[in-house]
Amino acid sequence: MTGPAIFFEEVNERQGVFHRRAILLGTFAGLGLTAMGGRLAYLQLFQTQRYERLSTSNQFNFKLMPAPRGVIVDRNGAVLAANRPNFRLLVVRDKGVDAEATLKTLANYVPLDDVRQRRLLKDINSAPRRAPVSVMEDMSWEQFSAISVRAPELVGVTADMGEVRVYPHGGAFAHVIGYVAKVNREDISLTGPNADPILLHPGFRMGKQGVEKAFDLELRGRPGARKVEVDANGREVRHHDEGDITPEPGAEIQLTLDVDVQNRALEVFGEESGGAVVMDCRTGDIICMTSAPSFDANRFVRGLTSAEYRGLAGFERKPMLDKCLSGLYPPGSTFKTMTALAILEAGIDPEARVSCGGGMNFGGRYFHCHKKGGHGSQNLHEAIKNSCDTYFYSMSLRVGPDRIAQAARAFGLGQIFDIGIPGQKRGIVPDRAWKKRYFAKNVDQQPWWPGENLSYAIGQGYLQVNCLQLAVMTARLANGVKALNPRLVRSVGGKELPKGSEAPDLPFLREHIDRVRAGMGAVTEAGGTAFRASQLGLGDILMAGKTGTAQVRNYDKGGSRGKGGVWHLRDHGLFVAYAPVDAPRYAMAVIVQHGMGGSTAAAPRAREIMRTTLLKDPELRARIVKPLPMPEIVPDIELDNIPNPTTIERIAAAAGGPA
Amino acid sequence: MTVSALTRPGERDRLIVKLSEIDWLFVLVLCLIAGTGSLMLFSIAGSSWTPWSAAHAMRFGICVVLMIALAVMDIRVWFALAYPIYGLGVLLLIAVELVGDVRLGAQRWLSIGSFSFQPSEVIKVGIVLALARLYHGVPAQRAQLSWWLFIPAAMIAVPVLLVAHQPDLGTAMLIAMTGGAIVVLAGLSWKVIASAIFGVLAVIPPYVLFGMHEYQRQRVLTFLDPETDPSGSGYHILQSMIALGSGGLLGKGYGLGSQSQLNFLPEKQTDFIFATLAEEFGFVGCVSVLILYGAAIFMALRTSYLSHSHFGRLAAAGVTATFTLYVMINGAMVMGLAPVVGVPMPMLSYGGTVMLTVMIGFGLIQSVRVHRYSEVTSGKGSFV
Repeated sequence: MTGPAIFFEEVNERQGVFHRRAILLGTFAGLGLTAMGGRLAYLQLFQTQRYERLSTSNQFNFKLMPAPRGVIVDRNGAVLAANRPNFRLLVVRDKGVDAEATLKTLANYVPLDDVRQRRLLKDINSAPRRAPVSVMEDMSWEQFSAISVRAPELVGVTADMGEVRVYPHGGAFAHVIGYVAKVNREDISLTGPNADPILLHPGFRMGKQGVEKAFDLELRGRPGARKVEVDANGREVRHHDEGDITPEPGAEIQLTLDVDVQNRALEVFGEESGGAVVMDCRTGDIICMTSAPSFDANRFVRGLTSAEYRGLAGFERKPMLDKCLSGLYPPGSTFKTMTALAILEAGIDPEARVSCGGGMNFGGRYFHCHKKGGHGSQNLHEAIKNSCDTYFYSMSLRVGPDRIAQAARAFGLGQIFDIGIPGQKRGIVPDRAWKKRYFAKNVDQQPWWPGENLSYAIGQGYLQVNCLQLAVMTARLANGVKALNPRLVRSVGGKELPKGSEAPDLPFLREHIDRVRAGMGAVTEAGGTAFRASQLGLGDILMAGKTGTAQVRNYDKGGSRGKGGVWHLRDHGLFVAYAPVDAPRYAMAVIVQHGMGGSTAAAPRAREIMRTTLLKDPELRARIVKPLPMPEIVPDIELDNIPNPTTIERIAAAAGGPA
Repeated sequence: MTVSALTRPGERDRLIVKLSEIDWLFVLVLCLIAGTGSLMLFSIAGSSWTPWSAAHAMRFGICVVLMIALAVMDIRVWFALAYPIYGLGVLLLIAVELVGDVRLGAQRWLSIGSFSFQPSEVIKVGIVLALARLYHGVPAQRAQLSWWLFIPAAMIAVPVLLVAHQPDLGTAMLIAMTGGAIVVLAGLSWKVIASAIFGVLAVIPPYVLFGMHEYQRQRVLTFLDPETDPSGSGYHILQSMIALGSGGLLGKGYGLGSQSQLNFLPEKQTDFIFATLAEEFGFVGCVSVLILYGAAIFMALRTSYLSHSHFGRLAAAGVTATFTLYVMINGAMVMGLAPVVGVPMPMLSYGGTVMLTVMIGFGLIQSVRVHRYSEVTSGKGSFV
């Protein structure tokens, strides 16, 4: 259509339009660039501060550091729970980290066999990205430094120093102090102290039992933080010392326990199962609270293997159960002290006598006394001394359950004490009102049958107490005036908690209490039920007590009467005691689960624990360890008359021989 | 050499004359931009030539040689190759549709042996050449308003739809806008332009809502309000704006950009390299680079202005339009003014394909400049 488009020809419309529109395009481009310049000016000149702030918050991060956990000490300052350094080796799953090859390399420096490598590889691959997985704990210093030196080549590997909880006394305090362990998902809450992000820190451990749990917040302290520069993946690039926040260590907790008594108590239990509680009967301080058998709390810190856990959970003697607080037992004859008080309160003459012929008939049933041939004529004092069941059977019918319950409650039975740690079981102190409530749905069972008084009086029947309650009962008897409360935690972070002696007086006549105490004194004298087993061997310091043998089933169906046979059907052996008799200082209760007899199983153990306790008391020790009388110095030789050497030589020479 | 030399047919075919006619100032500007790119890449890699900086500089060097070679190539060779290149581009786009690799969820790559490339790059040059050639033999009235316009419209629509189907929305838009720019420059009636603009504006919202892939829609919606999703798709825009804003007037200093050095900035070596520049050199550095881009655009546009052949004019202007669009889209994206589309900052960003395409385009522009007085036939009946 058109000819060859030579440039001369084309001073035409097309060129003109193009030129105009090219200028337009240029204008648009210029406007666009100007707009960009304007936008840059807005962002970079006017909004700088805002974006600088955002940039800084991108760049810097605070990494939490757990605070050293508070130390737990005994009443003399001996360490019961502390922290020790722990060199850990961590491997992190992240981009560019070949976990398998890394583990192979690490095996050159630390012992990692193939089985463990495979298991760790699985752990690492299932862990969230960048969450470090602990490959090795408790490395030696040599291993730690070998890894640290090679750290730059080992991508994704960090060796750090954390702290780990250590319980130097292993099992003796396991139930009271408890243990710490890794935080579970369930432990984390959305609000409150357990929403703290420190819980997510891999080195953080949380109190799971006992004092560690009850005082977890105080022991935790305030975590610190490290100011670090991080990249977009959260990896630490640099550390800025000047921005660090130093952690505030957790509060020190001092318990009233005594490490030696506690250890001795666990020792004397040997293979047996049970609990022992010793209290200072002037202040209410718990000197010893041991449950046997025990377990090593250090293993819980490290994490139990499933075999270990099954072993502990499946053992018949229940090592994980705190038998001082959570185990409930019929108090048996140790309860006769309470029945005796109730008898005196009821206005019955303590000299009134009951004749024991080996038991008594009541309601068509024969109630045995523990002595087959009977004790003969017994008054209150003798009945306590001999633990005569018949006397208490007979008297209980005159006293009734409500009076007995009143005495028992006044002395702490059926009560939960505020000792700072959880796990106490209340037990049962029955009376008429209790029975009505208990059998609310079964009207026929509601009335209190007179026959029930008989077993109540000797500490059987519905009655159930724990070891701590028995110790409190004994301590109140021994104190005689105050309704002492037990105290386990002496101070938290240097602040002392109220003493157990800041309590109201007992609502009983001193005279009545003294009568019961006299009976308890007789128990450990010649002829008493625990004479042999309770000799302290500490000179004039004597122990008063009361034995108890509690049956765990009805003997009517025959069998060995709880003196043998299958372990879990044997009688419990109990013993409550206080010493010294003349000025009571310490009270205690010992329960030997299925130990068969109070005087045979419990009393000898109580004696050993009491001995240790008394010997730790400086005042009493002074009474025991009397200084030897100094020999009189008789000056039999006059100093002036001693011949001097030269004189001797002269005499020898005079004698005509060599010196 | 004087302009008169170019008007003498014997003289102007000498290589030395051609070389002297290349716009060396323009080449210098390109070198400055690419040099800045290499500088930034060195910083991003943590003061290291590898992996990006040296490669970038080397590629640019090769591309400059290529550009010069293309510049001295006769404009009539370009003219003759216009349709074949376009045709090849379309064929490759169809091929990629059938046998292309899927990378990052889109089918954009074609592999021949160990060498893989994006056919959409070929069509970027192809569309410019083909449209310039098409308009070269067409009188003003037709270009203004006639049924004939359906031919260029179809030539634009075919590659745009193919690329959009990959889906690579950014490139599709770029091709469409390049084609549109040529059609407008060639003298399209204002009525058509106005109605087209209104039409597009009317179509966009329903397209965003119903016609887009989920990730595309997400990007658009995020762009409208980046802080709704700061760790998801808003992350790119937000981090880029933080890098820009925290740079301030003079920047944090070379190698000290925390956003880029610590990887908060995504795609810092490619699409978001301008943000790195902004962070480390601040407002002053950014404006300097923008001025360089402005200069390049101005010089390229002036070349098209000088051409005496319609083919030359439109081809040079078309390439300039593509280049300008790259700069605008990337700039707007980095500054949080446009959604995140995978369009790099030409010459500054790391990446061989785009640099090659752009430099081939600049080779064409220089060829237009060198041959601005050459006669170009209407080319009727000749495809070679």
